[in-house]
Amino acid sequence: MPEDLADVYRNTYPALVRFLYRKVWDGERAEDLAQEAFARALVHKPDNARAWLFVVAANMARDEARQAARERRHLTLLKSEPDAAPGSPEEEIDTDTQRTAVRTALDQLTPRDREALLLWDAGMSYDEIAAQTGLARGAIGTTLARARRRLVEAYDAGTEGGQHAARG
Amino acid sequence: MPHVDEGTIHAYLDGELASGDRSAVESHIAECSTCRARLAEERALVDRASQLLGLARPRERPAPPLQQLRQRRRVWRVRTPVAWAASIALALSIGYYLRGSDADTMAFRAAPLSPAAPRSVAPSEDRAAAPPAAHAPPPAAAEQAATRAPRGNGNRIDQPRDALTAPPAAGIVAIRPDTQLRDARVAAAARLAAPEPAALAEVDLALMRGRLLATEWPIIHRGPARMILGVEPVGVPGLPVRDIRRNPAGDGTVLVEQQLDSTTVIQLFQRPAATELHSYATPAPRRLDQAVPSVRERAYAPADRLARFVGALRVEIAGPLSQDSLNRLLEQVKPLP
Repeated sequence: MPEDLADVYRNTYPALVRFLYRKVWDGERAEDLAQEAFARALVHKPDNARAWLFVVAANMARDEARQAARERRHLTLLKSEPDAAPGSPEEEIDTDTQRTAVRTALDQLTPRDREALLLWDAGMSYDEIAAQTGLARGAIGTTLARARRRLVEAYDAGTEGGQHAARG
Repeated sequence: MPHVDEGTIHAYLDGELASGDRSAVESHIAECSTCRARLAEERALVDRASQLLGLARPRERPAPPLQQLRQRRRVWRVRTPVAWAASIALALSIGYYLRGSDADTMAFRAAPLSPAAPRSVAPSEDRAAAPPAAHAPPPAAAEQAATRAPRGNGNRIDQPRDALTAPPAAGIVAIRPDTQLRDARVAAAARLAAPEPAALAEVDLALMRGRLLATEWPIIHRGPARMILGVEPVGVPGLPVRDIRRNPAGDGTVLVEQQLDSTTVIQLFQRPAATELHSYATPAPRRLDQAVPSVRERAYAPADRLARFVGALRVEIAGPLSQDSLNRLLEQVKPLP
């Protein structure tokens, strides 16, 4: 194994959890899936472990999303549960609202734009994003530019709408 | 040089331009006020997008030791419809093997994983406790679930397109065996999970066994439950209480049923610790002269760990979860608020 998986684990685990979290929107599920991905990497010993992990994680998350669609009620139930380490109630509400707004905004991106953005945010290079998404390397900058713009616009539109509704 | 396009600006800001391209961009920007302004805009956009993503982060917790993942037990998550089908298939096979005066109806009443299923009605405790024939054919759906076991090695990075279009690793979850069940979320993740595909049938059987035992028990209010037990009834914090029941035999046992999710109910049989009674959540002990238990039956070997003393109560747990998960739930049990 060219890379030491222990190093990859140390450096990549938080990013992988974050990447998965923005797909499954459940912190513990994201951790479970990330750990499952690493458990598989221990078995398969891939050459490029980091990239391999993100491919596997993306596949698992995609399957998870299909599952989640069938378990909408269940997720709603989970959402209502308090976090283990809450801040003040106002902070909690704020954080929750913002997270929901970001999630809604991310949902409005095309799958490919969203994937590129999440991979970039997880610390992947353009080369790695190109390899994982199948996009040409030269197209990654444009893809990210579009994804970022769309995210910001959708977020602002969503939160402005919410404020109007609150005022109205 | 013409104006720098948006993609190049982002690649520049991301530090992903080759050095030659970077120099070209920098020298152009030094002379072109339009592109300078554009660069500032795009930089603000990059920062803002990054900040927004930062709002959607999970709470960071330390990673468990890597070596621990080596021992991770693979637990297949059974897709809900498959599990449901499996439970029905199993119920039918139990009905077949227990067919008798009242067992025929039991099979249909004992499809508890179906949200729409009527509450099952216990024929009798003896019958429920009698182990079903061990050689019941495994439900086809469970086998199907087993064959969905992912390989996880079809995703080679040097074949990104293949990897992306490859069938996703079929829904797997694994329950970290090392961590405490922190809250109902893990419990929810654990639901329908079994140590291995073949254990699905056993899990469903456990559910039926538990439910068959107690579904004719009258529902009571909290007050009478408290009077029977002498203390507050107990449950898993955070889970809605579906109902509280008492043993019609008047032996002082109270049953608290809690909803783990829309299709899963766990049962907590509880009674004052001083009372000497047989176990509800485990089958009757096997006599020595009986045949060697089958694999399926062995899963039900009476297990003390499924019972626990909580204050003055002895509590037993039953539900459609692995013993491991039930144990962890049992550890959480506290007096109901």
